[in-house]
Amino acid sequence: MTALAILVALSPLAGSAAALAGARARGAGLAQAAGAAIALGCAVALLVTLDGHPPLAGWDGFLYVDPLGGFFLMTVAAVTLLAALGSIGYICAQEDSDELSAFQIRLYFTFFGLFASLMLAALETGNLGLLFVLVEASTLASAALVGLEGHPRSLEAAWKYIIISSLGVTIALAGTLFLFYSGSALHLGSNLGLTWPFLLAHAHALAPQSLRLAFLLAVVGYGTKVGLAPMHTWLPDAHAEAPSPASAMLSAALLNTGMYAIIRFLAIAHARLGGTYPRAVLLAFGFASIVIGALFMVRKGNFKRLFAYSSVEHMGIIAVALGFGGTLGLYGALLQMLNHALAKAVLFLSSGDVALRYRTKEAGQVSGLLAAVPVTGGALLLASFAVLGSPPFGLFLSELTIVRAGFAHGSPAFPLLLLALLGLAFIAFARTTAGMVTGPPPDPALVSPYRDRTMVAVTAAPLILGLAALLVLGLWIPVGLDAVLRHSIAVIG
Amino acid sequence: MQSLSATSPAGVLLDLSGVLILLLAFACLASKLFNRYVVYYGAQSVVLAFAAGTSAVAFHSAELWILAALTLAVKGIAIPVAARRLLVTRLALKRDAAMSTGLSTSLIAGGALTAFAYLVTKPALLPHGTVASAVVPLSTAVILLGSLSMVVRRHTVAQLIGWLIVENGVFLGAITLVATFPFIVEAGIFLDIVAGVLIMVVFVSGLTRQLAQASAAELRELRG
Repeated sequence: MTALAILVALSPLAGSAAALAGARARGAGLAQAAGAAIALGCAVALLVTLDGHPPLAGWDGFLYVDPLGGFFLMTVAAVTLLAALGSIGYICAQEDSDELSAFQIRLYFTFFGLFASLMLAALETGNLGLLFVLVEASTLASAALVGLEGHPRSLEAAWKYIIISSLGVTIALAGTLFLFYSGSALHLGSNLGLTWPFLLAHAHALAPQSLRLAFLLAVVGYGTKVGLAPMHTWLPDAHAEAPSPASAMLSAALLNTGMYAIIRFLAIAHARLGGTYPRAVLLAFGFASIVIGALFMVRKGNFKRLFAYSSVEHMGIIAVALGFGGTLGLYGALLQMLNHALAKAVLFLSSGDVALRYRTKEAGQVSGLLAAVPVTGGALLLASFAVLGSPPFGLFLSELTIVRAGFAHGSPAFPLLLLALLGLAFIAFARTTAGMVTGPPPDPALVSPYRDRTMVAVTAAPLILGLAALLVLGLWIPVGLDAVLRHSIAVIG
Repeated sequence: MQSLSATSPAGVLLDLSGVLILLLAFACLASKLFNRYVVYYGAQSVVLAFAAGTSAVAFHSAELWILAALTLAVKGIAIPVAARRLLVTRLALKRDAAMSTGLSTSLIAGGALTAFAYLVTKPALLPHGTVASAVVPLSTAVILLGSLSMVVRRHTVAQLIGWLIVENGVFLGAITLVATFPFIVEAGIFLDIVAGVLIMVVFVSGLTRQLAQASAAELRELRG
């Protein structure tokens, strides 16, 4: 099992290795996709072997994988696979049109692999200090992706991203310090004492005042990475300026990793402080994010920014679901995370294809997508419906679960407010994407940016894979996934 | 965990270092010259290294000695020297004009934040009489002051120094709160490396040239 866990974290480095060895876009992309596929396979195998067994723990708690960690590993590995497949077509097209130099392409794949590998490693550690180290390292790796294109705009976005995220994560470290300090009574001398399972098991001995501060700092700190308002300001810029497959990684993998860290803190806080305090904190940040996300989606403009604000909104929904708590709330939150990751990966990948073909990121200049590029247009339309929570896709199910959780726990005002905001977000989002998809195709006809038909097929593959998974999750939750979700909830408490 | 009493010699020294570090953060906030930012940051890091050394003596910890030496070498000497040569001198940076508030306003805000830091961390949180109860409010105040200077300064170099001050604040908290924890020490070292990497990224990607000339305030393309 330990070997599996190591393989999950290391296999995405295949793309980095290929790029460093001098492979061109196609070769490095294929290596990247193969590495991601191995990571996903190993993550699923890990989940299967974990079933009915105690969590995998080793190296003084530096390695720790329980069903919750395994679930996130699977999500992030799946997104990495989709984004790696999308990278092949996108980066090859950029290579052919000379928009990216050979050096930039090498840089892209090197940091893409490193970024994925660091996030997966962060999900596999039980040590909260190491968690901080890996999350901060993943910030640095992904900043290179955001600034890849080297325009003043992308450099500005990268600067904003790196400085705001680093500050946020440093605040999370302060939170981690206070968490350790709250455990003074436990005499945490060894490495094992700094691990999440140990602190959870001894939560009753933690000092409540210090823990309160620790939880708040952790939510603010890791919430910066998640994109919770008002710490979200880096997010739309970074998502808009990064190459589209990298945007998919940011939105669908990085945000989830940040949320994972918050969930670990939440479990400890919940065990010691009860539900009221964590609930208040999460509902406040969650609703702020939904409001900000929905309001900024009203503005028509850059479609990648639109998708980014939708991520802010969805992270808010997840925070609210965690705040509602209970079996339903947590189940909905985890399911929503998986569904949102898949839908957002498909959206950003199709937005990459649109940007390549129309040579613009402005929604106003894109029309007739469905007629001009049926596969991408169809994927964009379906993924938009999915992300907005329409049946028959997975997000409908998870959002319904979250609203039900809201009614089941406490005042009906919160779930009603949530529903109203979801309606606003629906109108704002659909207004823009409907305009892009419908209408007459552009004249003159678009030139395909891809070198041959194989590339077109490779570009379409992740879109179809992602949508198929979303559809399955909307109609039926596989028995194995249900078991994993239930075990994860039992871990959170 | 054993904790130092505030009246022991090491406790008094740590307390004193904390006060100096806070004063240097204020000095940085009150300054308008890029040269001074770097000097104050360097001085702050030297005091921090001294504090880490004091902690190392008190706890008989070899790791803390290594950390103190690293702090002195990396943050006290290498970063300030590199920042001066590569940023301030090469880009001919003199006065920092890109501020969103006046100096007096930001100093008053800094004072308010310091009071706030005491308000948040003092009561009931920390056992009375330990050195932590004296130093943690100081380190929280340093974190807040660093964040404040990141907010009011719009120049990228000034923001970078602000972040480094925040990091010093966290580090000061770490050596007094959890000095006996092995891993957090390693995380602290890593944080230093991260700071180095961050700066290198700034250098290598050419960000400095583009952004230092047009300060972040003038980059307004990405809005809304």
